[in-house]
Amino acid sequence: MSNELIDFVIVSVALLAIGIYGLAVKRNFIRMLFAVEIVINAANLNLVAFARFLPHSGGQTFALFSIAIAAAEVAVGLALIIVAYRMYKNIDVADFRSLKG
Amino acid sequence: MIELTSTPIIILAILGGVGVALPVINIALKERGSMISYGIATLIALFAAIGYVLYQLALDHVAPAAIFSQDVLVDDAFGSLFAIAMLIVAIFTTVGSFNYMKNKANPSIYFSLILLSAIGMVLVAYATDLVMLFVAWELMSIPTYVLVGFLKKDPISNEAAIKYFLFGALASAIIIYGISLAYGITGSTNIGEVIQGFMVLDANMIPIGLLAVGMFIAGFGFKMGLVPFHMWLPDTYEGAPPTIATLLAAGTKKAGFAAALRVVVMGSVALSLDWTLALGIIAVMTMTVGNIAAVMQKNLARMLAYSSIGHAGYILIGLSIAPFSGIGLQGSLFHILNHAVMKGAAFIAVAGLVTALAVTHVEKLKGLARRMPITSLGLVISLLALAGVPPLSGFWSKLMLFGAAIDAGTVVWWGPWLAIAGVLNSALSLAYYGWIIRKMYFEGEKEKRIKEPKSIIAIMIFSIIFMVTIGVYPEPIIQFTEFATPAINAGLMP
Repeated sequence: MSNELIDFVIVSVALLAIGIYGLAVKRNFIRMLFAVEIVINAANLNLVAFARFLPHSGGQTFALFSIAIAAAEVAVGLALIIVAYRMYKNIDVADFRSLKG
Repeated sequence: MIELTSTPIIILAILGGVGVALPVINIALKERGSMISYGIATLIALFAAIGYVLYQLALDHVAPAAIFSQDVLVDDAFGSLFAIAMLIVAIFTTVGSFNYMKNKANPSIYFSLILLSAIGMVLVAYATDLVMLFVAWELMSIPTYVLVGFLKKDPISNEAAIKYFLFGALASAIIIYGISLAYGITGSTNIGEVIQGFMVLDANMIPIGLLAVGMFIAGFGFKMGLVPFHMWLPDTYEGAPPTIATLLAAGTKKAGFAAALRVVVMGSVALSLDWTLALGIIAVMTMTVGNIAAVMQKNLARMLAYSSIGHAGYILIGLSIAPFSGIGLQGSLFHILNHAVMKGAAFIAVAGLVTALAVTHVEKLKGLARRMPITSLGLVISLLALAGVPPLSGFWSKLMLFGAAIDAGTVVWWGPWLAIAGVLNSALSLAYYGWIIRKMYFEGEKEKRIKEPKSIIAIMIFSIIFMVTIGVYPEPIIQFTEFATPAINAGLMP
């Protein structure tokens, strides 16, 4: 069983790629919200892994902060989705295009 | 340890106390409190905060632009300059809202969110630790997502909020990924230590350092509205309540610059790589795209949004030539302060138009000068100042930025081209500002004067005085920006 830093970083980069892919391709608001969360969690994994291998534990503290902040952000995002759903009966962002020019 | 009487802590206590108290009071009063009283409480808190910043500056308790410190916050003149700009914007937003929020639901939460967002903006400018920077960044962003979508029965407002939210959340995610990389290769989250770590980086770690700085540019660039990260900006500014568009255009955008100055500029100097040219190219792209798109707009709010993209480009000139010219950064800071007032006044004028006449279309502005003379005058002065017409405040900061760019020509060949692009863009911007002014003053029939809201008049008069005074006598502000400008190379020493 290997326990190297590089393993964690590879997983984190894979998560980052999945998140960016999801944001670029998906058009459902909840899926896009998930994609953003995956990117944030990729960063959290990075922080915790680095904190484990560095003589400095600040990364773990930062990961806690970031988890709390991400939760607040998701709460706002879900509230916006609910308001949008009441108006449009739909949460496809491709349909939100009354603003353009 | 940072002292408990230092500026950021006191601002946090004042604004945070009132911001948290307002919704609680609202519940205690069973939601019967009047909008005006909440607004006045907010205003008192903001004035107390700005008063404390000025008091600390007057007593010389503030360090000259320190940029780095061992703590998470530093009480320096650089942060104070941004704090003044952002608190002015928050005051504009609050005063403008007196009129705009009349007969709208949940005023206490609205004002409370403005205060919380103002704390975030101020703390971003004072933060010297990446953890603090990120927390402050989110404290600034999350309330604005709610505020943009505050009119929950209005599909346009909701759509603007959703677009803003998606891009904003992605920007935060990218920033935190960049922070995690910077932490991983330098072993610290203190900005000063990270930059020093960058300077002694192992050769095969350099690409990761570059990736981290690139992610910072992208993440902060979303908020600053740099091309190619600007897609959300016109939609959001158009759809948001116009008072909140003020907060976004003049406030959160400046906070992005504060963060970028502390992290990106110093980071690129430390990595001693040619980021400057990349920033210069982004600056030219940003101002050109912003101004050309603005010419084609029919909606006043949208036109101002594109013009604010253009101004992000001007400010970026100063950042990109910072290592080569002493007055580059100073010009940027000066323009940031000016732009906060100019753009704030313009958007508040739009808010006045929306509430009094419910128009934002440029064609409908005909004869406005006779219907709302003071609002029109404020709008005209701020548009002329934005275009950089002497003797208004915008002229001096643009002169400084373009002068610095020409000055940098002795070191880098592309310096003068930035100045040329800037001057051409200013001329272009005068074209569409002139179009609005013509519609307001020289077209339309005799129309009756309508009653202008007092709060809007107050803001207009303040901003006219500010812009003209600084335009005629810029000396004190220039000295203050000099005091607030960090010395690039000296700043890198511990």
